[in-house]
Order: sequence, then structure tokens, then C-alpha cells
Amino acid sequence: MTGMVAQMPDRDRKVAERVPTDWKTGAMQTRIRRRYAAERRFRFMGLAAVVLSAAFLAFLLVTMLAQGLRGFTETRLALPIDFAAAGLEVTPAQLEQRGADAALASAGLERVVDNAAVAAFGPDGMDLISDTAWIRVGERLKADPGLLGGQAVIAVPASAGVDLAAKSGDTPLDARVAELRAQNRLTTGFAWGFLTGADSTDPTRVGIWGALKGSILTMVVTLLLAFPIGVLSAVYLEEYAPRNRWTDLIEVSINNLAAVPSIIFGLLGLAVFLATFQMPRSAALVGGLTLALMTMPVIVIAGRNAVKAVPPSIRDAALGIGASRVQVVFHHVIPLALPGILTGTIIGMARALGETAPLLMIGMRAFIAGPPGGFTSPATALPVQVFLWSDEVSRGFVEKTSAAIIVLLVFLLAMNGLAIYLRNKFEQRW
Amino acid sequence: MTQVHIDTPVQPDAPAPHKMTARNVDVFYGSKQAIKDVSIDVDMDRVTAFIGPSGCGKSTFLRTLNRMNDTVSSARVTGDIRLDGDDIYSPQMDVVQLRARVGMVFQKPNPFPKSIYENVAYGPRIHGLAAARGEMDEIVEGSLKRAGLWEEVKDRLSDSGTALSGGQQQRLCIARAIAVDPEVILMDEPCSALDPIATAKIEELIHELRGRYAIVIVTHNMQQAARVSQRTAFFHLGTLVEYGETSEIFTNPREVRTKDYITGRYG
Ligand SMILES: Nc1ncnc2c1ncn2[C@@H]1O[C@H](COP(=O)(O)OP(=O)(O)O)[C@@H](O)[C@H]1O
Ligand SMILES: [Mg+2]
Repeated sequence: MTGMVAQMPDRDRKVAERVPTDWKTGAMQTRIRRRYAAERRFRFMGLAAVVLSAAFLAFLLVTMLAQGLRGFTETRLALPIDFAAAGLEVTPAQLEQRGADAALASAGLERVVDNAAVAAFGPDGMDLISDTAWIRVGERLKADPGLLGGQAVIAVPASAGVDLAAKSGDTPLDARVAELRAQNRLTTGFAWGFLTGADSTDPTRVGIWGALKGSILTMVVTLLLAFPIGVLSAVYLEEYAPRNRWTDLIEVSINNLAAVPSIIFGLLGLAVFLATFQMPRSAALVGGLTLALMTMPVIVIAGRNAVKAVPPSIRDAALGIGASRVQVVFHHVIPLALPGILTGTIIGMARALGETAPLLMIGMRAFIAGPPGGFTSPATALPVQVFLWSDEVSRGFVEKTSAAIIVLLVFLLAMNGLAIYLRNKFEQRW
Repeated sequence: MTQVHIDTPVQPDAPAPHKMTARNVDVFYGSKQAIKDVSIDVDMDRVTAFIGPSGCGKSTFLRTLNRMNDTVSSARVTGDIRLDGDDIYSPQMDVVQLRARVGMVFQKPNPFPKSIYENVAYGPRIHGLAAARGEMDEIVEGSLKRAGLWEEVKDRLSDSGTALSGGQQQRLCIARAIAVDPEVILMDEPCSALDPIATAKIEELIHELRGRYAIVIVTHNMQQAARVSQRTAFFHLGTLVEYGETSEIFTNPREVRTKDYITGRYG
């Protein structure tokens, strides 16, 4: 104390004697220049980082689109068929009833189409058109039964070999395809079959709908489970649970759960849902349950942060006019925390949608030739389908893989778009 | 409500019984005692002011009167606090109903981030006080009028309550509190975040509300206590130093600590 008192006058004198700062000296100017330079450097580096990541994204999109857009198209051959001469044993009336497909098949439409191909393109004609060409002809006939009595030129899908030669070239059929193209008998059209079909061994016949429906069913199960459980856990932990060793332990466990590699959740799903509970293999239900385990911790963590960010004054206000704690939570805390909870849900669901490893573990990698009928029927999912097709030897699958990736990305964008729309909607309410 | 007041028998010509009574109240935060042996009465038709240096326990004591301290897990209240003779800390007392009867206005205006209408309608709605939509409209209009806010907001009831100015927000909070028709209103430094003009409006409002509710106001502004209150309680270091008529406290304090505080010796 006494020491300080003794120092006081000394310090006072120093303050009084302090020379006024000269802001115009050389050192000051250098400092200003350095500050501006640092600022410019930082701006440049930030911009460079943004440009770089945008370039990566653009590169990904461009390669995917360049490769994948061709996957949505099919090569068609103009096939002249003389139905009158072929003598199909079908009446126009039969074509307008149910069971028209069976009638056409038993009347030998496939043979008629094959013969027409040989007649039109020569002895190799049957190899140029797809095995499913007669189905397309059948659809034309059903739409226009009057064709039965005459002739028609119908664009039928080409075989995998022709399709590949027409799209990328470098195959033994290149010369033949060039010839057909010169004769104007080759056209390209949108492959509706890709959007409505399921897996197949023939790349011209594969469709994405089977995997897309599997993914949708899986995501529905995941969302219905992970969202309510995640939100309720988050709210309970933040608003109700006492702070003690047990809740600390739960918090640490949940944080760790969010970081566990996904394949381990797959093994868990295999052991618990398939082995113990005897649930069906390869089903969207099991896939959804497994992914829900993985998504829930993400939602809990985001939800807790969102609940924590709701100002305590709002809780006081509601309690102060006699709201019960449940009313405080459901009328004020959850609505205010919802945008944050939804952000966490988007992140968790996007991760679940792209997840392959756990689905492989529970058998969703099986070859399934038709779209799943329901939650318990065998299904596959988009990322697994991408993985399976990328493994195929046939060159026709390359573009189909990219096309499947485009569908996956579009699905992801649609899901995120919906969540962002909902988030903004809830934010506007205030 | 029909309960007989055992400890304060009512004589025919005795003054009306106190609205709220507190006897020998202690409040602890963990092991730290914030309120020591405070006894006080709150009456209808009166404004009671709590004054004292910051940290002396005014807010803590105020929050025991509607059990807002229940939300602080470390807080523990002992003693006897009654509303119309009923022990508010007894297991029979429903805390939700208690807080509807003893409303509260906070230091920082805290309207809900909802429309002005919803802010006022929320309390009556959760307590089921309005049967029909028209009735709710009447409650909202009446509460806003009594809070002196109606003229300013009647054309924009669907705007967000948080878009109002600070003083308007605080009056909205008062409207929200009186919409559930409480018997007691507790105000914790309601003007400390407001400018002088908004403060004057709130003080005027307190005058008008006095006839209908028992009002307790915490303030660190002694002129304000002198202007709005009829009774004043001076707190210091968790104890109630002096409690009496406001005019007495300000002109003729009995305790030297009160006198020192009022004359600005500390605080
Ligand atoms: N939630 C709490 N937990 C622990 N101590 C608290 C809490 N709230 C207030 N206190 C303490 O209780 C005492 C009284 O505080 P308060 O009632 O807020 O005073 P005032 O309103 O008169 O300024 C202070 O010492 C303060 O630090
Ligand atoms: Mg206070």
C-alpha cells in the first residue's frame, strides 16, 4: 500500500509529460500500409478459397452431367412392320381390354418383331434391336389398334451394343451404326424406362425407380424415427434433466455416437434387427432403422444447441403468466428452436441418404429386379445402386452410374430445398 | 378462497386483511443466504416499492412471491408466504394458478416473438378465460387499453411484438400480465431499460392500475419509489431494514442505514 502511494506522483508526472502522438511519422505510415496489405492479402485468400471450392463443385457437376445425361437417353431404330402380312392372331377389341399384353405375347408378337428386324436390317437384325423392342411395339398397338390391319414404321429401342456404338463409339458395331445413321434410321429419345424401371443385367433395360423408391422408403422410416426421438431427447436433456453425472455421461455418449463410423451402425443393425429381432433382410424398414440410429445423435446435438439458444427471458415470460413447463416447451421453446433443429435434421438426413456401408451390411445390396412393394419387401437404395453399377463390367453401365448419381443429387437437392423452405417458413412466423 | 384466516382473525371494524403476507422468509442459493428473515405485507389498492443497493436481494425476494425461484434449481425458500391466507408453498398450491393470480413484469421487456395480439391473448388462452373469439378480442382490447397501448397499436395488432419500441414493449408486457386478470402484479425494475419519457408513461400507468391490483415494484431509482409507491421497503444485504409509509421513509427514516441510502451515501 505505502509503495503504491509513493509511486503515485511519479506516475502522474509521466502521464502529464506524455508527448502528443504524431500520427504522421514514417513508422505510422508504414503501419498503415502494412495494415492495408494484410487486409488485401486476407481478401485475396478468402476469395481464392471460395473460387477453388466452387471450381471443385463445377467440375463434379460438369463431369457428372456430361457422363450422366446420356444415361437418360436411348438409341432407337426405325423398324418397318407389316402387321397385315404377319397375321397376328389378335383382334383390335382384345387390345382395348385388360390382358392385352398377355394376348400380344401369346399371339407371337416377339417373333413378328424379330422377323421384321431381319427383313429390315438383314441377318444381324435381331442383334441390333433390344430384347424389349416387341414390348414397345405392343404399346404402340394398344394405343392405336387400327395399325393391326396395315403397315407402320415404329421406333424401337436398339440393343446395348448399338446404343454404346451410337453414344461413345469404339466398338465392333461402329461401322454398322454409321451405316444406319446415314440411312436416317437411327434416332435418340428420352429413356422413360430409366425413370420407371428397376435393376437389370442389361444396361439398356435398367431403371432407377427401384432404387429411388427404396431410398424414399428408407428415408421415411429414418425421418419418422430419428426426428421425434431426436427432438424429444434434445428438449428433455435441455429443459428437464437435472445437471448431474448421469446427464453428463449421456451427453458424452451422444457426442461419441455422432462420430462413430457408419459401417459400425450397419453391423449393429445386422446383429440387432436381423439376427435378434428376425426382421426381413434387405428391407427398407431395417435400412431406415439402422440409418435412424446414425441420424439421431446429429439431430440431438443440433436440437440441444437450438434449444439452448432460446433466450431464458422467453421462458420467464411464459412461466410468469402461468404457463406450465410443457406449455413453455411446446408453445415457445420448440417453435423458436425449430429452424435450428431443422438445420440439424437436414445435415443428418443428407448424410443418411448418401450412406452406403451400413446398407451393404444389412443386405440392401441384393440384385432386385422390381421396385420394392413396401417397407418390408427387398429393396435397394440409390447410393448402393451407384456402387453396384459402378462395379459392372459392361461399358453401358458407366453412363447409367452417372445418371443414377444425378438422380441421387437431385433427390438430395429436393430434400434440402424442402427443409430450407420449411425453415424459412418457421422463421417468418415471428 | 373461503378459507378462514386462522392466524389473523378479522374483527368487524379491523382494516382489510393483507393480500399477501410474508413471515420470516429466508432464501438460499446453495449454501449462500440471499434473504434473511424478511417479513412483509402487501395490500390491495397500494403500490409497495422495494428499494436498496443492487445485489441486496430485492429481485430474489420478489420472485419468492410468485414462486419464480422454483426455476432456479439451487434456490431454497423457507418461511411462510400467503396469498389471501393460503400458503403458496404448500403442496396444495398449484404453481400455475398462483402465477396467473400473481403476475410478473420483468426488468428487460420480453414480449414473445409473436404478434401483438398473440402476446396479450396467450395467457387468457392457456387458462381458458375466453370462450369465444369475440370474447378474446375484448380481453385483448381491454388489456391493451388499460396498459395505455391501445391507441398506438390498434391498427397493427398482427405486427410482431418485438418490433415495438422498448417502452411500448414493456407496456405490452404489462398488458400481457393483466390480460389474465391477476390480483397482484410484481414488477422487477420495469423502467431500468427505458428512456425518461417511456418511464414516465409506465409510472402513470402504475398509478392507474393501483385501484385494481396489489402492485409490488422493485426499483433502484428513489425518486421513482417516492413518486409511485405508498409503502416502501428498504433492503440491505439480504435483510429488510425498514418498511413503512413511503412519505415516512423518505422524510423521516428511523434507521440510519435507510437515511444514508436515501441521501445517496451509498448505492
Ligand atoms: N440464480 C442465482 N444463483 C446464485 N446466486 C444468485 C442468483 N440470483 C441472485 N443471486 C445472488 O443473490 C443476491 C441477491 O441478488 P438479487 O436478488 O438479484 O439482487 P437485486 O435484485 O437486489 O439486485 C446477490 O448476491 C446475487 O449474486
Ligand atoms: Mg434485481
